[in-house]
Amino acid sequence: MTAPRRFVVDEELTIVTAADHRERLLAFLGDGNGVRVDLSGVADLDTAGLQVLMMTRNEGVRLNLPVEFTEPSPVVTEALALTRLEL
Amino acid sequence: MALDDDMREALDMFITEARDLVQGLEEGLLELEDQPGGGETVNAVFRAAHTLKGSSGLFGLQHLVEFTHVVETVLGSVRDGVLDVTPGLVSALLPCTDHISAMIEGLAGGRLEPDAAQAADGARLLAGLEPYLADGSAMTAGPVVAAPDAPPPEMAWRLVLHFGEDCLRNGMDPLSFLRYLSTLGTVTGVVTVTDRLPEAADMDPESCYLSFEVDLVTAAPKTEIEAVFDFVREDSDIRITPAESQFDTYVRAIRAMPENDRIGDVLITSGAVTELEMAEALRIQQERVVREGNQPVPIGEILIEQGIVPRAIVDAALTRQRRTTETRSQDTRTIRIDAARLDKLIDLVGELVIAQSSTGIPNSAGPDTSSEAQGEVMRLVDEVRHSALSLRMVPIGTTLRRFERVVRDVCMELGKEVSLVITGGDAEMDKALVERISDPLLHLVRNSLDHGIEPAGERRKHGKAQQGTLRLNAYHDAGNIVIEVADDGRGLDRERILAKAIERELVAPGTTLTDSEVYNLIFEPGFSTAETVSNLSGRGVGMDVVKRNVTALRGSIEVETARGIGTTIRIRLPLTLAIIDGFLVGVGPSSFIVPLDRVTECVELPPGPLGRDCMNLRGEVLPFIRLRQIFGVPGQPARRQNVVIVEQSGQRTGLVVDSLLGELQTVIKPLGILFSRVKCISGSTILGNGEIALILDVGPLIAGHSDREQTRQAVPVG
Amino acid sequence: MAKTILIVDDSASVRQVVSIALKGAGYEVITGNDGKDALTKLNGQRIHLIISDVNMPNMDGITFVAEAKKLPAYKFTPIIMLTTESQEDKKRQAQAAGAKAWVTKPFQPEQMLSAVAKLVQP
Repeated sequence: MTAPRRFVVDEELTIVTAADHRERLLAFLGDGNGVRVDLSGVADLDTAGLQVLMMTRNEGVRLNLPVEFTEPSPVVTEALALTRLEL
Repeated sequence: MALDDDMREALDMFITEARDLVQGLEEGLLELEDQPGGGETVNAVFRAAHTLKGSSGLFGLQHLVEFTHVVETVLGSVRDGVLDVTPGLVSALLPCTDHISAMIEGLAGGRLEPDAAQAADGARLLAGLEPYLADGSAMTAGPVVAAPDAPPPEMAWRLVLHFGEDCLRNGMDPLSFLRYLSTLGTVTGVVTVTDRLPEAADMDPESCYLSFEVDLVTAAPKTEIEAVFDFVREDSDIRITPAESQFDTYVRAIRAMPENDRIGDVLITSGAVTELEMAEALRIQQERVVREGNQPVPIGEILIEQGIVPRAIVDAALTRQRRTTETRSQDTRTIRIDAARLDKLIDLVGELVIAQSSTGIPNSAGPDTSSEAQGEVMRLVDEVRHSALSLRMVPIGTTLRRFERVVRDVCMELGKEVSLVITGGDAEMDKALVERISDPLLHLVRNSLDHGIEPAGERRKHGKAQQGTLRLNAYHDAGNIVIEVADDGRGLDRERILAKAIERELVAPGTTLTDSEVYNLIFEPGFSTAETVSNLSGRGVGMDVVKRNVTALRGSIEVETARGIGTTIRIRLPLTLAIIDGFLVGVGPSSFIVPLDRVTECVELPPGPLGRDCMNLRGEVLPFIRLRQIFGVPGQPARRQNVVIVEQSGQRTGLVVDSLLGELQTVIKPLGILFSRVKCISGSTILGNGEIALILDVGPLIAGHSDREQTRQAVPVG
Repeated sequence: MAKTILIVDDSASVRQVVSIALKGAGYEVITGNDGKDALTKLNGQRIHLIISDVNMPNMDGITFVAEAKKLPAYKFTPIIMLTTESQEDKKRQAQAAGAKAWVTKPFQPEQMLSAVAKLVQP
């Protein structure tokens, strides 16, 4: 089993890009190695974006694949603090 | 907002723009006058006014907002085709544009408020537009600034926010709302509920699956918290409840509130429930009634069930709710029905009563069983009659309470101080009677206020309370309703009444009259004791008209008075006009009915000389009237005659008849116009055997008899 | 990154005052004079919120909103409609077209800021 691939989120993770991100993340998970989601570049995060991140985490649990979120940007940290959620 | 440089620039922009708009408005109006149909011109002038209003609001120019709002409303009606462009309308609008222009120029000169002359001018112009406004269609432009109150205490709230699935697609981000909440106060806790987030395969990334539970501590009222979610309310489920720790605060606040008969008001005032929530709860309540057809679920229960407010607070509000539920639920239990339908029912019952009495005529041949069944039918018919009649019965209170206003107004006019005391308002009487007695009562009330109760000064001089008292009292008495109009005024002046009566040639000079005879003179046609014709009572409707009206209702009127103490006018009316309990008597071949409520007893006429007209009844002299004689019934009286003793206004009189035929219920058929002048008869009825019986009107009968007695006695003397 | 707001109103002074207020609160602002003009501003750039008047020449606000919603980039953009009390039907039309938020005219800059802040933080 190779190391999880690194997935870099573009600066916007919102309703506008949610569908796109979902497809791409699921595709990453599809290769069976898990995914490391790099959140350092996220400049905009909304509920839709948050849902995609949670979906990715849940899907990792379901498929028993490692899903890791790294380097949350200030925007991500703020949203997680606001919702008292952890990734 | 401070007028810093940017704003100054914006204001200059506004002034330039406003000048253009006013000019456009003016040109458009003139164009419309020439070509009233121009749709694009109409739109343009409307838009000009609309823009003017919007921009003015932005700069807090309330006077301009208010003024242009009205102009906009009128132009809106033109645009919507509700209002036509007429020269009159254009003439009314053109000076408005001048006025707006003047205010703009004032603004350019640095005056943010209109001066007094401009304000007056504006008010006059708006008044000129009033005819073009649909009923009160927004003369106000809505408040622009809300005055801040003293900061209320902070409260803890629990918000449960289920956002609609579409909210993200609509551009509404729950995270934004959460962030905004923290500008209202302190968010002390958030739980993000992720249960609804589906598996990746089923997830629509553009749907919202998250719910939130938020604890918020804020001094903002609930309505303001609620308003945060205005834009998502339609497809979301937003619950805002006082936090548990706060229940006691609400319970205490509610306990400290004045009693109120509406639980909704109590809850809204307490701040625990907003009007929007209450409206929603009421809608749910209504919907259930429609869907399930049950009694409405109490609104408090719905509020609890919907999670809007906890039971502890509802219970506190319930105890604050005034116990007026009885009268209220009575209101809701009443229905309006067409009086004609009711009359039809009563007519039918009347016919039934007649038909029943025809079977009720003794039939010795009939077997016992049928008479038993007959008895049952009679009982039922009687019950039907009672309940049918009761449908027409209404409490007299409503009519009496109407006089509160009259008394207040008349007192203002006369400068008198009078308190009105109403008692017995729940006494019921026939609706038709209530309506027809209200005018006579009005006259009596005015009369008491006008002539009865003295001015405050005079009352003080006589050692009476400065404030006079007028009492309206109603009660049931022996199948009648009695209505009293009593004042504590100066009482009737016996000498003055007599003098006036002699002057008016109602009484021959030197006649000796009893007190009550003198007082009853006020009911004579053309009698008026008022020395000055006042605006109130002296309008040509005298006490004689009152008496005539009362008599027409088969009622009687009497007066009781004491000098310096007061006067009581007592009206006695039957409870209903339709059916009476009667006592059937026979005189030769004729039948008469005596209203049963007037009959006190029946005795056999003791033998004695034919001509005499009184008898000894247990040691008292009882005058009697021979019906045979009065109505000129031909033939010889029966060998053994009977006396029906009737009572009217405390006076007992005997009616001599041939035979006593028993009690019966009688539908009164009014006498035709031909007999309208006949006194002593109030109507007729058809007996079970098809014959007609006349119903005696006891009052006039007795009164007429004593009159005749007097004339008979007076003639030999004079 | 500051959020960008497009203001569409035919009144220059409204555009100006709202711009001042929004810029003061930390938003980026672009403006359109009417529906038609505003559509040209929707050239694919990221816009986080649109504020539009209803009554405008050339293209009214409701048509503009409906057109904007057809563009993929602005499908999910929140829209605040400037309505008036007397225009309940306009408000409904605007909602149907996709403008789910509103501010009632006449308003003061603070009211506009508060409505904007519910939807988009700077």
